[in-house]
Amino acid sequence: MNLFREIWQSIVRRDPLSTDKGKSELVFLNVWLHIHPAKVKKENMKFRHTFYLGFITFFLFLILVTTGIALMCYYRPYPPQAYQDMKDLQFVVFMGPFLRNMHRWAAHGMVVCVFLHMCRVFYTGSYKKPRQFNWVIGVFLLLLTLGLSFTGYLLPWDQLAYWAITVGTNIGSYAPFIGGQVRELLLGGHSVGEGALIRFYVLHVAVLPAAVILLTIVHFWRVRKDGGLSRPIWKLKAKAGELVTIGTPAPTAPLAVAASITKTYGLMEVVTGKPIFEAVTPEEEEDTVFSYPYAFVREAVTLMATVTTIMTMSLFLNAPLEELANPAKTPNPAKAPWYFLGLQELVSHSALLGGVVAPALMVLALLAIPYIDRNPSRRPGDRRWVLWLFTIFVVANLVLIVIGTFFRGPGWALVPPWVHVVGGAE
Amino acid sequence: MERRLQQVFFALSFLALLLIVAAAWQANTPSWKTYQRNFLQLEAQGEPNAVTKAAVLATPPEIHQVMLTGLQRVDRCTTCHMGVEDPTMKNAPEPFRYHANLGPHIPSRFGCTICHGGQGLATDKEGAHGNVAFWPNPLLSKDYIRASCGRCHKEGQVPGVPELTEGRRLFETQGCRGCHKLNGVGGSIGPDLTAEGANRRAPEWLEKHFLTPSAVSAGSAMPNFHFTKEQARALTYYMLSLTSEEMGSYFSSVRLIPGPEYGRQLFIEKNCITCHNVGGVGAKVGPDLMGVTRQHSTEWLDEQLVNPELVYPGSSMPAYDLEANARKALLAYLESATPEDAQLILSRRPRALTPEDVAIEAGKQDFARFGCVGCHGTELQGGVPNPNAQGGEVPSLLHVSDDYTKDEVIAIIRNGRAPPLENTAGPTPPLYMPSWKKVLSDEDINRIADYMWSKQEKKKDSW
Repeated sequence: MNLFREIWQSIVRRDPLSTDKGKSELVFLNVWLHIHPAKVKKENMKFRHTFYLGFITFFLFLILVTTGIALMCYYRPYPPQAYQDMKDLQFVVFMGPFLRNMHRWAAHGMVVCVFLHMCRVFYTGSYKKPRQFNWVIGVFLLLLTLGLSFTGYLLPWDQLAYWAITVGTNIGSYAPFIGGQVRELLLGGHSVGEGALIRFYVLHVAVLPAAVILLTIVHFWRVRKDGGLSRPIWKLKAKAGELVTIGTPAPTAPLAVAASITKTYGLMEVVTGKPIFEAVTPEEEEDTVFSYPYAFVREAVTLMATVTTIMTMSLFLNAPLEELANPAKTPNPAKAPWYFLGLQELVSHSALLGGVVAPALMVLALLAIPYIDRNPSRRPGDRRWVLWLFTIFVVANLVLIVIGTFFRGPGWALVPPWVHVVGGAE
Repeated sequence: MERRLQQVFFALSFLALLLIVAAAWQANTPSWKTYQRNFLQLEAQGEPNAVTKAAVLATPPEIHQVMLTGLQRVDRCTTCHMGVEDPTMKNAPEPFRYHANLGPHIPSRFGCTICHGGQGLATDKEGAHGNVAFWPNPLLSKDYIRASCGRCHKEGQVPGVPELTEGRRLFETQGCRGCHKLNGVGGSIGPDLTAEGANRRAPEWLEKHFLTPSAVSAGSAMPNFHFTKEQARALTYYMLSLTSEEMGSYFSSVRLIPGPEYGRQLFIEKNCITCHNVGGVGAKVGPDLMGVTRQHSTEWLDEQLVNPELVYPGSSMPAYDLEANARKALLAYLESATPEDAQLILSRRPRALTPEDVAIEAGKQDFARFGCVGCHGTELQGGVPNPNAQGGEVPSLLHVSDDYTKDEVIAIIRNGRAPPLENTAGPTPPLYMPSWKKVLSDEDINRIADYMWSKQEKKKDSW
């Protein structure tokens, strides 16, 4: 019995919960609870503030990791076995279609949710000081998500995959000077083939997920360290000046470190001044609740809602699988994955402007947003034209994607989706 | 609120559990299991012994598959079609009926899809029969199923399938190669036909296309050859048999050994006797083939058939487009060839051998093999319509010596030529003379010119 208690003690390493110290250690010593602050503001938990989009994105990522690892057990990343493995998943593997459907729909869902999450953060002005850099990390996470989805797109090795990646990587090759080389590095050759498949596989299952996990940790950590979630719009104070700024300490100010005879302090531990936070009044301080269970139960509900939604979709909607990839047979039109169809649409008008300049500017603009928009106010009334600008950006993207997806027929001609075009190849 | 949220959490968790159970149930009740149960019941009916009956019924359901590793094919058809090799299932209802008349082609060795088409990987009826989106080879209908024999039996007579031999003959004699590539040889005006049988084109489409090309393919540059219905059917069979999958070599590598009868057919078909002799009977240009299999190794002879130039630089023997199986069969025949047999073959030729026959025969062979006859006609008469070219058709070659020297003709064959226009403002004629210098050796081209000159008619009256 003693041994069991010892083992248990070695795991939880805290005092009994009957003591106050034990109660606090329950949170402090637990890595999962420690990601959360001990207490959260009630208003920050409101669904209409964040729509829980960040959490949904994260949970979709968890679904993707879980189903992805299961799929790896059935997948050989070289042609044409890769395609045969897809067929085996469809016809032979127990619950194989369900597994693949979940992975597919969660992947599309993650692209959508990560984008919506970005929109929410923009519209609530939550990228503003002190959260500028977390926005930048978020943009990189968006790019990584697109990269993950794009690399995963090739793996089934069917016509859809083959030509989407051919078109997608061609768009990249329009970049001057380095475009061709980057494409060659990515594909391991001049066209999509065995080399490309193994490279995309490695990127998809190892490199990109590792990068996403790393950046997600930083992203979450910064949410906490930048003062928790931003305050909902409707709780903003009437006037600007909501931040407590760092005061430069007077030269004579003593180091804010309690002197100790027994310990030597490193420079990083010498703290002067205060970190910048949104100012919190005592009343607001009172309007908080413990993360556990209040925030936790909401997260748990979000997790289960996400999982059940994806499962329901997977039960009824099958992930597409076309014919075996055939480099000699180009579908007309050959389309990139849907989230790149806006780009492809632009490319169809101008390869250099649409394929290189526009996306590069888009990414740079996204990264620079918190540093360009120096207006400290988060209230919509104070930032009207910024909101309009961003709305135009979002709508333009959506319109281009819709045109590329539904309104482009053979030869990239403008064809409404309700008109059936008889294939010109025969 | 908090209480409600907890309830929602548990409700959703329960829903997730239900969904997993539903997915598992969906996965656990595929249609093939029902078929297997029905088959076992059918099988158990005939069992008099109660113990055996119970044992039969208790057979666990499992997927049956034939793996043809060399062909990248996996056929799971026998998962439902469980009686194909069981003669007692002769009168059973489909999908359990015994497959009669298979000869040596046992499903467990050969699979099913190489003949029938369909999606061997699938385990549900719709998917397996292949009439689904994104599967290029649905089941072949009964009318065309025999065409599949030609996927392995690429040369010689296939018993019971005269259409294949006829289709192949038409293809090689009507000059299809002039426009179409097959196994790397041929023109590029029309589509490559090397894997035509693996394309998703309905047999009916092909047949209509041969009768009237423009009926199914508007604006097709293919001339109307005025084939009969039988000929169109034969060509359709031949097209359906074309696949880039090395089925013949695969099956011969695992079991099939071609016999000397097949080799003798090839010996006649390829006119070996125009150059070679057997024990002195035949032409003396090439070496005596009597006992040649004892003088050289099989590998050496095989290489000689694939690429004579490589074995003997400067050899005048043409490279024949023979499949591995065909080469084996030819060697098997040479092992047993006798002067008497050669005499018999000679006597069945339409006319006696002359010394010029070697070059002319080779030129004629090339003229047919590389598809020149497609436009210029089997008798060099030309006449294939070519809108807006001078005369509106491909010119006859029977009078070239009137207007050109042999060297000029050789230059035209080497470099190709666009036909002179009838109306310079009109559209470009669909047919043109391709450049052959990368396809044919100078020697081949010279032979073709020799052949043409041997066919020249008398000079037209000059004016």
